[in-house]
Amino acid sequence: MQHIGSRSQRKSVTQKLSWWAQLGHALDRRERTLPSLLLVPVLLFFIIWNIIPTLWMVGLSFYNYSMISGRPARFIGITNFADILVDNSVWLSFSKTLIWVFSTVAIETALGLLLGLLFWGSAKLPGRRLALTMIFAPMMITPVAASIFFRLMYDPTFGVISWVISLLTGQAAPNLLGDRLTAFGAALAVDVWIWTPFMILITLAALGSVPRAELEAAQIDKLSWIKKFRYVILPNGKFILMLGILLRTIDSFKTMDLIFSLTRGGPGNTTELIAIVLYRKAFEAFNLGWASALAVILLLTAIAFTSIYLFILNRKQAEEA
Amino acid sequence: MTQGRTRLYHLLLWVIALIFFSPILWIALASFKTKDQILATPPLFVFPPTLANYTDFFSRQNVGEYFVNSFLISIVAVLIAILVSFLASYCFSRFQPRGTSFMMFILLSIRMVPAAATVVPIFLMYSAFSWKDSWPALVLFYAMFSIPFSVWILKGFIDGVSRRYDETALVNGGSRLHVMFKVVLPQVRPGLIAAFIFNLIFVWNEFLVNFIIGGKTTTMIPTALMIGVANNLGTDWTFVATLTTLYILPPIIAIFFFQKYLLVGMTFGTVRGEV
Amino acid sequence: MRKFLFVLMVLAIALTPTLALAQGGDHPLRGQTIDMAILGIGGWIPSSVAVTLAQEEFAPYALENYGYTVNWSFQEAPFSNLFQKAATSLATGSQEFNIIISDSQWLGAFAEPGWIVNISDLIADGYPQYGEIEWYDPVVQSAYMYYPDGTQTIWGLPETGDVVVLYVNKELLLDPDERAAFEAEYGWTLPATYEDWFDIDFDQFEQIAAFFTRPEEGLYGTAMQYSKEYDFMTMFLYPFIFSLGGDIWNPETGDVYGILNSDVNAQAMEINKRWLNYQPPGALNYGIPDVVDVFTQNIAFSGFQWAAMGAGMIPAGTEDKYMVVVPPGARMEDGSVRRIWSIGGQPWVINANNDEAHMRVVHDFLNWWYLPETQIRFNELGGNPATAGALNSEGYDDIQVWNRAYKDMLTEETARDFWHEPTYSEMLAIQQEGWTAFASGQVTDAMNTLNWIACEQQEILYNDGRTETPPPAECADITLE
Repeated sequence: MQHIGSRSQRKSVTQKLSWWAQLGHALDRRERTLPSLLLVPVLLFFIIWNIIPTLWMVGLSFYNYSMISGRPARFIGITNFADILVDNSVWLSFSKTLIWVFSTVAIETALGLLLGLLFWGSAKLPGRRLALTMIFAPMMITPVAASIFFRLMYDPTFGVISWVISLLTGQAAPNLLGDRLTAFGAALAVDVWIWTPFMILITLAALGSVPRAELEAAQIDKLSWIKKFRYVILPNGKFILMLGILLRTIDSFKTMDLIFSLTRGGPGNTTELIAIVLYRKAFEAFNLGWASALAVILLLTAIAFTSIYLFILNRKQAEEA
Repeated sequence: MTQGRTRLYHLLLWVIALIFFSPILWIALASFKTKDQILATPPLFVFPPTLANYTDFFSRQNVGEYFVNSFLISIVAVLIAILVSFLASYCFSRFQPRGTSFMMFILLSIRMVPAAATVVPIFLMYSAFSWKDSWPALVLFYAMFSIPFSVWILKGFIDGVSRRYDETALVNGGSRLHVMFKVVLPQVRPGLIAAFIFNLIFVWNEFLVNFIIGGKTTTMIPTALMIGVANNLGTDWTFVATLTTLYILPPIIAIFFFQKYLLVGMTFGTVRGEV
Repeated sequence: MRKFLFVLMVLAIALTPTLALAQGGDHPLRGQTIDMAILGIGGWIPSSVAVTLAQEEFAPYALENYGYTVNWSFQEAPFSNLFQKAATSLATGSQEFNIIISDSQWLGAFAEPGWIVNISDLIADGYPQYGEIEWYDPVVQSAYMYYPDGTQTIWGLPETGDVVVLYVNKELLLDPDERAAFEAEYGWTLPATYEDWFDIDFDQFEQIAAFFTRPEEGLYGTAMQYSKEYDFMTMFLYPFIFSLGGDIWNPETGDVYGILNSDVNAQAMEINKRWLNYQPPGALNYGIPDVVDVFTQNIAFSGFQWAAMGAGMIPAGTEDKYMVVVPPGARMEDGSVRRIWSIGGQPWVINANNDEAHMRVVHDFLNWWYLPETQIRFNELGGNPATAGALNSEGYDDIQVWNRAYKDMLTEETARDFWHEPTYSEMLAIQQEGWTAFASGQVTDAMNTLNWIACEQQEILYNDGRTETPPPAECADITLE
C-alpha cells in the first residue's frame, strides 16, 4: 500500500501546498458539486459533438435540401421519411445489412470461441506472445489498405488467393469479387479475417475471468468439455462475451470503408449495405435532407437495438443474482 | 498430454497464427518487390528483395507530414478522451448520480450510428463554424469518438477497485483529486492501457471523417492511402504496400508489448491480475 | 491555313514577353508572395503535369514578367472522391483550393450553388481573352465549358481533353504467323496500319479479340472497364449505345424515359457483356488502373483506355511495341463505320471565393496556360491540349504515340459527353448499379434493367424540376431484381 505511505509524507508538508493539492482541497470544499464537476467535460463533449449536430440533423431531415442544387432548403414535413419507407432499394440494403451483421457476428463469435478455447491452454507455447501478436495483427490494419490489397489478392489474374484456390480445386481461378454469387461472401471473409481476432481476444479475456477454484473443481469432477463450458465457463465469462458480441454487432452494423473500396457495393447491388446508401446520398449526391432522414432512422434503429440488447443482458443478470 | 501431442498442439497453434498473419506478411513481402514482381503470374514467393520502394517512399513529399498528423492527432485525441472518460467513470462508479445507467446506455448507442450518419451533422456544423481542416476541431471530434468505449471499460475497472481505498485516503487527509489520480488511477492501469490501445486503433485507421472534415493540413495516413492509390502509371502497388507495412508496424509493436494489459482490459474490470 | 496559324503562333510567342512586360510594369502584385492551391485528380497525368508546369515553369515566368513570387501546392483525390473533396471545401466558402480540375459532368453541381466563377460574365467584364481562344472542335466547348446543356454559358475552360482510344500490342498484331493463322481462321486480314483500323467494326473487333483470347497461355483479346466505381462501366458501355444509334436522354426536355430504355440500347448492353468473354476473368472489377496493369503485363492483347493514360499504358522506351488506334464502331448500311465513344477530359474551374490577389494569379496563370508553347509543353509531358493551335501545329502528331488517335476521336462525330446536371452523381449511381448488375449476371433482362434505370432517372430529374414529365405509372411495378 505504497500510496498510503506517501499520504503521511504529504501531510507533513501541508505548509507548502502544491498547486495540485490546492486545487484538490478547493474542490473538496465543494464536495456536493464535485460529482457534477467531474461530469462537466464529458457533458461538454456530449453536447457539442452529439446533441447539437443531432438536433441539426433531425431538423434538416424535415427539409428538402440538396447542397448542390443552388436552392435554399424547403420545409417538406415528413416527406423524406415517407420516401425512405417506400423505397425498395433502402429496404433491400437494410435486409442485406441485417444478413451481413448476423453472418459476420455469428462466424466471428464461433471462430473466436473455438480458437480462443484452443489457445487457452497455451501458456507453455514457445513464442506465445509473438504468436498472439500475429493473431491480433489483422485488427490493426486500416480497412482502406485491407480492401486495396484484398482486391489484388482476389483478382483471378494476379491474385494469390485465387491462385491457391485454383491450385487446390484444379479449376480456373474464380473471380470472387466480380461474381454475384461470391462477392458478398468474399467481402464477408475479409471482415471475418479482420475481426475474428477481436473475438479471440474477448474469449481469452472471458476465460481468464473464470475463477481458478471452479476450474479445479471441474477438473476433479472430471466434467466433459461441453459440460465444463456450459456450467463453469459460460456463467462466469458470459458478461464479457456478451459485451464483445455487442461491440462487434455495433461495428458490423457500421461497416462502410471496407466494402466501399472493395466492391463499391457491387457488382449490381450485391454488397450495397445501408451505410453505403447513406454515404452516397450524403456525400456523392449531397442530398442532405434525405440523407439526414435516413441517418435519423438509423440512429433510432441503433438505439432500439442497443436497448433491447442491454435489456436482455440486464434481465439475465438480474435472474442470476 | 504426451510430449508428442503437446508438440502437435503447439504446431497447430502456430499454423493458426501464421494463417491469420499471412495476408499482412504478403503485403509486407510486396513492399520488397518491384511492381512487375507484385503483378507476376503465378504469384512470386521467392524473389530478390529490393529496398527501392522504401528509399522512394521516404523521398516523397508530404508522407512525413501525414505520419506526424496520424501520430499526433490520434494520440492527443485518445489521451483527451481517456482523461475525460476517467473523470466521468469515477463519478459514475462512486457517486452514481441519477441517470448513470441512462448515460452509459446513450454513450453506447452513439457508437452504433454508422460513421456516414455521424459525419453528416458534424460536417454541417463544421462548415457553419468554419472548423473544417482545423487541427483542434479534428482532435476533439476523435476524442468524442473514443469516449464511449473508454467510459465503458474504465467504469468496470473502477467498480472493481474497492471503495475502502478511497475512504482510507480521504480519512488520511487526501483530497478527492488525490484519491482519483494517485490512489485509483494506478490500480486501473490495465483498463487505461486497453482503452488507449483500442481507441487508438480506431482513430489510427479512420478514413471517412478525416476525408470529409479534414483538409490540407490535417490529412492522415488512411486518407493519404486512398488518395495515393493510383499514380500516373496505374495503381501504385509498391507505394500502397510500403505505406501499409510502415503504418501497421507501430500498432503491432504496441500489441506485442502491451498484450498482457489488452487481455486484462477486455475483461472490463471483472478480473484483476494475469489472464 | 496551317501555315497561317503557325505564323500567327510564332507572332504570338514573339509578342507575349513584350506585352507581358508592358503589363507587368504596374502589376498590382509586384513584390508579393502568393500561395496557390490546385485540387486535381490523383494518379492522373494531365492533372499532375499541370501542377508540375505551374510550379516549374509558370512560377519563374510570373516572377520575371509580373514580379511576384507564387508557390503552388497540389491536393489530389481519386476520380470517385474528388467531387466530395471539392464540394465539402467549397461549401464552407473556403479558399482552400483556388483552382479546381473538375470532371466535366460536375459543371452543373459546381455552378448551381454559385461556388465557381461564371466565365461568360468574365468575358463580358474585362476578360475577353477567354472568349477568343480557338478550340479544336465544338465538342470541346459542349463537353468542358457549357452548362446547362444546350446553352452557351461558360463555366469551365479545358484543362485537358480526353477520349477513349484503343491500345494494341503491335508485336503480336504484326507477327506473320499470327496474321496467317488469323486469315486462315476468319478469311480476312488483320489490320496492320493506323489507317486500317478506321474500317474495323464491332463484329470484326470481336473476331480479333476472340482470336487472341488464349486463357491457357494467359493471353486475352482485350480489356475494358466494368467496375461499379464512379463512371467506369458507364464510360465503356456508352460507346456501344451511341455507335449503334441509341441515345440516353433529351437534354432539352430533360426526359430519360422512352429514350434510354430502347431496344437498341438493350442490344448494346448484350454486346458489351458478351465482350467479357475475351477479357481476363477479373474484368468485371476493372477500373482505369487495372486495364493498365493487364495491358502492360502483356496479359491483354489490346486495351480500351483514356488517351490521358497513354504514358501509363505505354511506358517510356516501349513505344515501338505498341500502337494506338481509333476504337471500332458500328457498321452502317452504306458500309461506313460509325464510331462514337465517350469523351473524358477535365475543365479548370475557378473558386468564386478567391480574393482579389488569388483571382489575379488565376488569370495570369490561365493566360499563360493557353499560350501555344505552354500547350505544346503540356503535351510533351503527357497531357492532351484541346486548342486548335496545338492540335493543328506542325509535328503535333509525332509528339506522343497516341496523339493521332486522340485528335481523330476528338470531334463531334466521334465523341459524346453526357449530362452536366447537378443531379449527375445520383443518376450515375443508378445506372452503375443497373449495368454492373447486368454485366455480372445478377439480373439477366437487359430491357428490364433499362426500364428500371430510366424510371429512376426520370424521377430524379422530375424531382429536381428539370422535366415536367413524371415517371409513367408502369414504373411503380418495375424493380431491378
